[in-house]
Amino acid sequence: MLKRKASLTATALMLLMSGVLAACGGGDNNKENASTPTSGTSKNGAAETAQLKGDFEIQYFVGGYGDAWWKSMIAGFKELHPDLNIKESAGPKINDQMKPRWIKNDPPDLVYIDGAGGLDVGQAVKDGQLMDLTEWFASAENVDGEKLSDVVITQPSAIEGKLYTVPLVFGSWGTFYDKALFSKNGWEAPKDFDSFVTVSEKIKAAGIAPYIHPGVYTGYLIGGFLFPAMVSANGDDPSILQDVSDLKPGIFKSEPVMKAVGQLVTMRDKGLIDKAAVALNHTDSQMQFLQHKDAFIPNGLWLPNEMAKDTPEGFEFGYIPSISQAPGGKYVANPYTSPMAIASKAKNPEAAKAFIQYIFTKKAAIEWAEKTGALMNLKVDLDSSKASEVSKGAIKFYSSDNLIVAPAVPIQADVNKEMENATLALTDNKIQADEWAERMEKIAEKVRSQK
Amino acid sequence: MQLSLPEFHVRGDCMTAAWKRRLFIASFVWPTLILFLVFTVYPVLRGLHYSLFDWSGSAESMDYIGLRNFKDMASDPVIAKAIRNDYFLVFSKIFGIMLLAVFFAVALTRLKLRGSKFYRFAFFFPNVMSVVVIGVLWRFIYNPKLGILNGLLSETQGKPVETPWLGDSSYALLALLPPAIWAGVGFFMILLIAGIKGIPEPLYESAQIDGARQWKQFWHITVPLVWEQIKVSIVLIMLTSLNGSFAIVSVMTEGGPDNATQVLGYYLYQMGFKQYHMGYASAIGIVILVLSLVTTIMLQRIMKRDSVELS
Repeated sequence: MLKRKASLTATALMLLMSGVLAACGGGDNNKENASTPTSGTSKNGAAETAQLKGDFEIQYFVGGYGDAWWKSMIAGFKELHPDLNIKESAGPKINDQMKPRWIKNDPPDLVYIDGAGGLDVGQAVKDGQLMDLTEWFASAENVDGEKLSDVVITQPSAIEGKLYTVPLVFGSWGTFYDKALFSKNGWEAPKDFDSFVTVSEKIKAAGIAPYIHPGVYTGYLIGGFLFPAMVSANGDDPSILQDVSDLKPGIFKSEPVMKAVGQLVTMRDKGLIDKAAVALNHTDSQMQFLQHKDAFIPNGLWLPNEMAKDTPEGFEFGYIPSISQAPGGKYVANPYTSPMAIASKAKNPEAAKAFIQYIFTKKAAIEWAEKTGALMNLKVDLDSSKASEVSKGAIKFYSSDNLIVAPAVPIQADVNKEMENATLALTDNKIQADEWAERMEKIAEKVRSQK
Repeated sequence: MQLSLPEFHVRGDCMTAAWKRRLFIASFVWPTLILFLVFTVYPVLRGLHYSLFDWSGSAESMDYIGLRNFKDMASDPVIAKAIRNDYFLVFSKIFGIMLLAVFFAVALTRLKLRGSKFYRFAFFFPNVMSVVVIGVLWRFIYNPKLGILNGLLSETQGKPVETPWLGDSSYALLALLPPAIWAGVGFFMILLIAGIKGIPEPLYESAQIDGARQWKQFWHITVPLVWEQIKVSIVLIMLTSLNGSFAIVSVMTEGGPDNATQVLGYYLYQMGFKQYHMGYASAIGIVILVLSLVTTIMLQRIMKRDSVELS
């Protein structure tokens, strides 16, 4: 679910950002550049690794992150393997353009999954379209000789115990507030659920609704609140999310899940959730948040960028990874990622693997942060780089001892939709926690039986 | 032998003429027929074919499952809800649009209003707007805290009204009606105006002389003589609603909250493209087709009247 929702929301952001870029007069990133083979066969022969030959096709979506990083990576990879004929299938519409080829079983070798209409990893795995990378990833090293599994921030998520993707872009969900507003009113940013409830009641008394979320896309509430809450309730053990992803029988009635849902009910019954939330989409809810109609909003790290144009003077984005932990408990960062995957029908899987090994380096991660303003899924020190202050702050944050980075688990599409529906109904007092669990178990059962 | 020759010639000429005639007709029929076959019949058959498969829509692998998609639909509560919602929208829209369209059409033709050209333009205006724009516009109007509707209600009631019109499952579906009706009135108004203008003025004049008031003139002259247009309008509203509710639902609520505004058209899209059940989505498409056909036939039967013709 997260991955899908994240990619959907990321798409929205990217469309927005690409719009901004285009408006700025540049717009180079949006240029249609599908299927342009990289030509030029400079023979410098400097490569020490085994030379790769033949054709190698990579599909990547071009949105808010642009394609400068990709162009630079591909050029570097080409230098390393001059005999490799690299074909780039890229652009803002590439997902739609390549869809017929995926259906006809003639996919590219490597795909970066992002943007509208991108592959749904769970479904693609079910359809047998992605290559099992479990064994390879366990031992694969990048070109600097570091193990991939050691350098990534979040590990690839498993589908029935197997790995099919490597997360490339990394960010996390959380709760946002306006630091300036809080300090003006003498409110303290919550450190745990109790302090969240306490400060929310003060906020409510001051005439501001404490908590808003986009009810049309309940995924924000699930990603920013419910999933971290499940991890907190499970004694900070993020394996609960994997169990939810795997649809373990009874998982939705299990104690940690019910406790997390119970926290939502507490928020509802104390009147902390804005009644308007049910009718709002993400933009509506974000506008209300920026206009100080509401104090907290669950969202992703893209929020400050997305709303940059509408942010009032003096508004200071504050970010809390989770608000559901017990006093003294650790923060939980629930990540969203955009992954890379190799097609099971890849004609040149060796080149695809080699390319992943080539790009998962510190140098590439720094370049990613500098060129896109976002974070790559790789532990790296950005202090001396030209990356933005936001990126520098964020990367430090993920290496803190007081924080758990949960896995970005895929949630099956039917389960995801039902979870959104049931969670929204719960927050609007149309159903109760036991009915929520009942509905979730029912859909899980149905999906399990279809496997 | 010699006798039969001219006869043969004559017959040959006849056939040439007949063939020419056929060719002439065919040259008009075939291009349209081919387009119809390629763009309507073939997709319908293809949809029927897919509806018998378990297919994600994004891969080559398809499993033949016979009628299971249809059986699953029978036990899917969302389908039942979507059908109920669809028919609620159909009948509410027929009632709302026809009432307003007939009223405006009569008002702008028979009641000699000043500025009727302006009104005609104003009422027709939503028709040139995209449904997406209409949906976004009404989302603003309905916005619980920033919208104009709650703003007005707050003013008149003297206390803050923050009703989440599109978010509460009790009235979200009702909230879809005003934009849908507002968007539809103009076209049918124009259709009826054309019908009313075709009624010869002397009919009204003689009715006037006989002492029939506007109301009687309306029931006994206008309605019978524009009945064909009314019939066509009703069937068109039904068809566009069953097949086209997707757009307004997609822009305004995405079927939510908790399927409260779900309609078959949007559920088809959601199943096919968001939840990867293209086979199931195709089956929903077949149901929409069958419902449209059955409803059309039933409406035609119900609305059958002895036709009144002007001689």
